[in-house]
Amino acid sequence: MATSRSNRALPNSQSPAAPAAPPSYVGTIVGESASREFRMAVAQEAIREQDLVAVDAELRPTDGQGPPESIRVWAKVQRIERLNPLFPSEAGHELAATRTNPFETVLSLSREMVTAVCQVLGAEPRGNNPRGKLDQLRYPPQPASSVYRPGSEDMARVVLGELAQRANRALDIATLSNRPEVSVSVDGHAIVTRHLAILAMTGAGKSWTARRIIEQLAAKNYPIVIFDPHGDYSRLSEVPALRQKVKRYYAQFPVFEQDSETVVKVVESLGWELAKTHRSHFDTLFEAARAFIKAPAPQIQERTEWLSDYLRNSKIKEYGLKPDLYFFGDFVQAVSAANAAEDFDSLSVLIEWCKQDDLRINKQNAKWLETFPNNLRTAAKRLRLMEKTNQKISGSLDPLPNDRTEIVQYGQVSVVSLAGYTGDFQATIYNLIANDIFQARVQEKLKLPVLLVLEEAHNFVPGRANTPAEERSIAITKQIAQEGRKFGIGLVMISQRPSRLDETTLSQCNSYIIMRLVNPADQNFVRKVIESLGEDEARLLPDLDVGEALLSGQLINFPVLVRIKPPESQGEREEEDAFKALEDAYRSLQQGARQPQEVRGW
Amino acid sequence: MNDHQPSNRRLTEAGVQEDLQRQPHLFVRLAENALTVAESLRGNYFKNTATFIAALRKAIADTQQGRRTDPILEVRRVPETSWADVQDEVVTFIDGGVGQVQLASQVPILLRVGSYRVRTGERRLSEREQFGYYPVILGDLEGGSKERKDFIDIVRITAELLAGLSALERTPDLRVLIFHGPLTYLVGSYAGHTPFTERDIDLFLRQYAQDAQIARALKEDFLRQAHVDIYPKITKRPDEWARQRIFEPLSFIAFLLRRLCERARQRPVPAYIVGVVERGNLRELSETILLERVFRGLRQKGNIDYFNNMYGRTDLSTPKALLDRLGYTDALLMAMLLEPGQYSESWSMNKFDGLRRGEVALPGLADEELVNFEALKPGPFGFPRIRGCYLHVSEITEPVRIEVFDELADADYLENVVRRVYLYSRLLPGYGFPVGLDIADKYAHIPTWLTNAYSKLIRYHLGISLQQGEISDAEMRRVLVQAIYMTHRDWLFRPEP
Repeated sequence: MATSRSNRALPNSQSPAAPAAPPSYVGTIVGESASREFRMAVAQEAIREQDLVAVDAELRPTDGQGPPESIRVWAKVQRIERLNPLFPSEAGHELAATRTNPFETVLSLSREMVTAVCQVLGAEPRGNNPRGKLDQLRYPPQPASSVYRPGSEDMARVVLGELAQRANRALDIATLSNRPEVSVSVDGHAIVTRHLAILAMTGAGKSWTARRIIEQLAAKNYPIVIFDPHGDYSRLSEVPALRQKVKRYYAQFPVFEQDSETVVKVVESLGWELAKTHRSHFDTLFEAARAFIKAPAPQIQERTEWLSDYLRNSKIKEYGLKPDLYFFGDFVQAVSAANAAEDFDSLSVLIEWCKQDDLRINKQNAKWLETFPNNLRTAAKRLRLMEKTNQKISGSLDPLPNDRTEIVQYGQVSVVSLAGYTGDFQATIYNLIANDIFQARVQEKLKLPVLLVLEEAHNFVPGRANTPAEERSIAITKQIAQEGRKFGIGLVMISQRPSRLDETTLSQCNSYIIMRLVNPADQNFVRKVIESLGEDEARLLPDLDVGEALLSGQLINFPVLVRIKPPESQGEREEEDAFKALEDAYRSLQQGARQPQEVRGW
Repeated sequence: MNDHQPSNRRLTEAGVQEDLQRQPHLFVRLAENALTVAESLRGNYFKNTATFIAALRKAIADTQQGRRTDPILEVRRVPETSWADVQDEVVTFIDGGVGQVQLASQVPILLRVGSYRVRTGERRLSEREQFGYYPVILGDLEGGSKERKDFIDIVRITAELLAGLSALERTPDLRVLIFHGPLTYLVGSYAGHTPFTERDIDLFLRQYAQDAQIARALKEDFLRQAHVDIYPKITKRPDEWARQRIFEPLSFIAFLLRRLCERARQRPVPAYIVGVVERGNLRELSETILLERVFRGLRQKGNIDYFNNMYGRTDLSTPKALLDRLGYTDALLMAMLLEPGQYSESWSMNKFDGLRRGEVALPGLADEELVNFEALKPGPFGFPRIRGCYLHVSEITEPVRIEVFDELADADYLENVVRRVYLYSRLLPGYGFPVGLDIADKYAHIPTWLTNAYSKLIRYHLGISLQQGEISDAEMRRVLVQAIYMTHRDWLFRPEP
């Protein structure tokens, strides 16, 4: 197309085919027109901000040879300014002070100038562009040209752009906000390979948007792992088409099926940081404990009784040994006590059962180990509490598999429930899973690509780490954001506090869905980090409706304001009327209280 | 003005000084005066002014409270008026604007008179407001002395009066017609212009009435009256003037003013025809009314050296001398004497002293002939008399001068005019001027982009002509090049190194 060459514009009047003002006329170009922006005088209330409009033009080749080319310039209404130049603001103040109705006065109220600032999106040959791809405009549209609103079909074609030729990549997620009849599909390939950020304040519809995208991707069998801190995706499996595809995991932690490094992380995030002595003996103690508990059943019985007797703790015998941190604490206590008391007989028993000569440690170190079991038991207690909560919220029966990469399956949406865990532990679990998946892809042990969906991303990738768990989760997310594309790992970050997100990671996202943001810090941050977001679009952010979103970046042909289509699934947190819920609960209470009386009546 | 001080404090020298300090625009005006008056008057200029004003305030207050029988100036408060009192009234505001093109110097090219008509209380915008404009391209006119700087003024005055008359004719229920500026100017200075031709008047009348017959009738009415009654009094060749169907500008302006006054009077309730003047430098009220009475009183009391003693001079013994030496104007004195919401007594203005004999060249002729403009002084075929008063709208603005036709201006008429001007001006307290005139002003304003574009076009054509060798005269070429790049430099016409 010649628009990217330096052609010369023909005045409308010189064009033999120059049409009269089209019926969908919305305004006339005024002032200085440029290739990137023009202003138009607007017909009264003919358009809204973010509307797509078009101007027809004729471009002559710069060498003067050949017929002029008919093009259509597409533009987006960025800003509408409405001014009554004959109404002095001073008079407005006077009216306000005296509570006077302006119609009663001699003030002029009839003369308004409505001007729209339009951003040029590109141009296409008129009547011959089934691809919908827009080229850069290199010559401004002519002042005084008529601007019109194209038909819905044309609009859909241009919004879809080259995706029309790649239907397998298209995700049908929205409609144009001002034109509900125009569907907006986004490029799924851009999302799964080049990362997406969904940014919105609470209640603006970000989980709704994410669910819509996930449902669309799941329909294409793309492996997805969702880290779900609040149960937003608990009802994804209720969608008939997804019933067989969604698998929910609760994050139970089989301690002795982890490597010792992992367990250190867990203990440190739930208890407190290990002392140097504790850390230096951790691997030995952990491996010994693993050997101790992995014995066949008859031997376990013997070892349970021994440990119970040695520690004079009858509860061990009563409840039996389980492979958890409580047991690990008991085991460490026994090792510590035997070494401190130089009880070499008992020590020999332990060494024999555990096949670990290193359990023999000097008396001083043994003394220092005495506090270690407390740390382990604290971690065990917290872990058990969280596991219970998590299991209850997730409603899931499946614990995470020991080989965590198994959650990546063709056509499977794996929802890892993190609800109930503290932020640190959530970050740890996320870090463990993400790290395993990343390493498996790097080493080609995992054959399938995968999309990681990170809800409440600001908790996992904060701008500044406050704990070791956060440090680790930031590191792995950064790595995925920067290198994931090479290894087929995509990332969807969802956050209600964008300003708390790590700037580097966010800027690695090539696609953005931005919804209502009221917090000025969040707005400024988003404006700073997202290059494709214009000033006028950023100004819209606090005024967006629930479900309205600005799509920007590689997922779309050009930035547009859309309304996200509803997902088929519902979220756990979709709110019901609080007062209705109260009345329902009260009725249920009353019925419960009446029930026995009625029975007695019978 | 007196919101912050008790009324008796206002009558003291200290009270006046406090007022001045609160009103920077007055303070600056007085400071300017202090720098321009004779050195001997500078020393205590502020203090003496405060003393003088305090004395005047006290005299006015004494009259109002019945303690004095010979008023120096009647001051009235504008009666309480709200917008509810003036609902369903049609008001038209008229203002003219001049578009000037920047070449080597400012060249006026066109004039546009705007009118803004509004009906108070009307909710339907299409019924409520109407804008009109009367454009005149100065180059199209054959008459008028274009070489004179005040050529644009007589064109504007004529066009504004035609716009006003048109509004009155077209709008049977027009209640108020307000012009921006004096209802009648000091017309003497405009005498001597070459008369307009009939073609010029046709250009003026093009926008005058929807029905061309009405416009023609106005033209013929004037020509008939001019032939029979006006030209015989001002020229020795009235028949020749009549034969040429020329329109002597002052005669035509006087005719239009009389027509305005007649039409206003013919209404069941006379329409209010008003001129409102801001930033006027007149001192007629001070000289002929206020200070005349002050000096009379001083003479009566044998205290004729009152001002000489105050200022340490010997020549401050007449109102004119006092105003000359001290630089006071009506606006300045009224700003210090009137409180916001007060207006001065009115007086019959003397706008016609300058009408004397003068020489006029007819269109297309070099010879000049003597014309007696004195015949246009107020009379059956001269200018109508004008009555004026000052109204102080807000503390931060100077009083405006209101002018009406003397023959319409009984006490009620004047009071009703003042009430409306005050009400309209209260919407712009920082300007202290009827807001509708501000609207008409903006509407009539020739936009800068238009005059800039026009000047670009002129320069472009001159440049092309020069480039193509169409202008061969060397001196003309030099002048044109200079004219072009004396403003915005053009690389093509850059000066020789």
